[in-house]
Amino acid sequence: MSTFTYNSEALQNLHIEDTTLLDRLVDFESARDAHLRKPRDKADKRTSLKEAVAEYVSDGDILFDAGFAYVRSCHQAYFEIMRQGKKNLQAIGAPTSNQSYMINDGSVKFSHNAYIGAEMRGTDRNYSRQLKEGNVTILSEWSHGGIAQGLKAAQLGAPGIFSKQMLGSDIMKHNPYIKTMQNPMRDDPDPVAFIPALYPDVVFIHVQVADKYGNACIYGPVVNDTAVAAASRKVIITAEEIVPEISLRYNRKGVTIPFIYADAVVELPFGAVPGNMPGYYYWARQWWEKLLRYGSTDKERFKKFHDEWMINTKDQFEFVEKLGGAKWIAEARRQTKAAEGENEDIDFSYQEYTPDNDTGLYY
Amino acid sequence: MKNETPANPLEMLAYFISLQIKDSTVVYVGTGLPMVAAILAHKTHAPHITMVYESGGQDPIAGDMPWSVGDPFTWRKAAVMQEMAYSFGQAAGGYVDIAFLGFAQVDMYGNVNTHHIGKDLTNPKARLTGSGGNNDLSSLTENMILVGLQTPERFPEKVDFITSVGYLEGGETRREAGLIGNGPLAVVSQWGIYDFEPKTKRMRVKSLTPGIPFEIAQQTTGFELLKPEGEIPETPMIPSDILDVLRTDVDPGGVFTTMPS
Repeated sequence: MSTFTYNSEALQNLHIEDTTLLDRLVDFESARDAHLRKPRDKADKRTSLKEAVAEYVSDGDILFDAGFAYVRSCHQAYFEIMRQGKKNLQAIGAPTSNQSYMINDGSVKFSHNAYIGAEMRGTDRNYSRQLKEGNVTILSEWSHGGIAQGLKAAQLGAPGIFSKQMLGSDIMKHNPYIKTMQNPMRDDPDPVAFIPALYPDVVFIHVQVADKYGNACIYGPVVNDTAVAAASRKVIITAEEIVPEISLRYNRKGVTIPFIYADAVVELPFGAVPGNMPGYYYWARQWWEKLLRYGSTDKERFKKFHDEWMINTKDQFEFVEKLGGAKWIAEARRQTKAAEGENEDIDFSYQEYTPDNDTGLYY
Repeated sequence: MKNETPANPLEMLAYFISLQIKDSTVVYVGTGLPMVAAILAHKTHAPHITMVYESGGQDPIAGDMPWSVGDPFTWRKAAVMQEMAYSFGQAAGGYVDIAFLGFAQVDMYGNVNTHHIGKDLTNPKARLTGSGGNNDLSSLTENMILVGLQTPERFPEKVDFITSVGYLEGGETRREAGLIGNGPLAVVSQWGIYDFEPKTKRMRVKSLTPGIPFEIAQQTTGFELLKPEGEIPETPMIPSDILDVLRTDVDPGGVFTTMPS
């Protein structure tokens, strides 16, 4: 593997002494090597989520949180990763919200942060507490766009991108990777931020439909997923439905990830529960509110919530049962389709979860 | 009218923010009150704005209040959905006129903190969200408006962490750092709307919420607020018909406009 030059002010601010932890995120050669070694045949790559997690997630891996935190993100894979006791993972994404509940049991140990929390649902006090207790170490800080550009560079096959983002901010002073330099094309002073291409180790990309070879089609916001599919060393495609290859050739609506990137394919209906899966289910708003307004407030509550929903729920079907089963499925589908303008408009008002008002409803 | 109670501070804030939106502009919409304000403006004085969201949707057809910047309402029947990199890229390229950014702290040069309270990122008093798209928009859009509640802790002389650069250290330091766009146009709080003195780039009162004297604004600020020449104008109060639109049409569930209890 290559050796790298890091921003020493950032290393100091982050109290990082051992920089070998940082290397793999920007190591092009090992990523290219991993990609070169992937079998090229159109083989049936289907496997179970349990097997995919067991085989492709290694302790210490850099795990990318795909989708948009609670939109088309494979939460069920993250829960399975915890159930299998994977440890010391480096979390990265845009947002980086889902790492928070993975720190509790040591699955996530390191953060490359871009955004923690769930917007207006409430402050994520769990991450704050874990950070202060030393259960998670920050390796770098980013903006969403910075992460997006680093992945795009990898997808473009470029060593990096020159950006106009993050300049002058304290993010730069807490990011070992980004270098401020003069734009080599301009005569006048024009600072630019060099963002190296980023190579996560493993990513679970949840899509609406895929074929058994790994061609994966995304409907709705793509966010960073075509880029991270190209960049990551290991790519697991999880799909609501597995369709015949011919249907992706002729009947496609959306953006497709090529089969040659996929290491494994998992037929995983409800894989993105309790988040929103465009076309399939709206998010369980009250679940996120309960996570943040009840769970994150103190350690005991967090452990109770975490264990009930993530450790002691064996798979996505049991999860959906806890959310309300068939009634939840019907409501959530109706809600997302109405929001997307595919179904007749409905009333989106609902009973928000607060600790004083737990209706037990998740739709 | 749906409800006779007077506007609460968040509703007032949503209105003040919406006043900053000019019709026929491209508006980058962030989570929270900015989303409320953009939708309110769209339904009232600015029906021709194009809204852009960082999860990728832009120019959706109007629907309910999005529950998040990734909610399907943000890309409802959108003709175009950008990947995140291109959504911000178009801002850099000159296609986004204004962005609205929230803050946990803002200082006298309009620098924003959404990272943490305390001195050390690795061991803060409280860790907050981090940047999200806040820094990207502050770096790239032609103009930005900063939005948040005003207390002395939230308006310190220097923020604990610069998530997003406003005018950095004042004067020309923003431009010298290499950032594009004009920097913050205004800060909107429940007490007033503030702009920035053109040379020093220090925060200055532009108008005050009706009934609020300058002293209240100054007392809830951790640095010396500049005053404009002459009498300080009053920010227009939200008219009852617009409050009606806000409560009935824009955020009927009060998702973003209910005061925390």
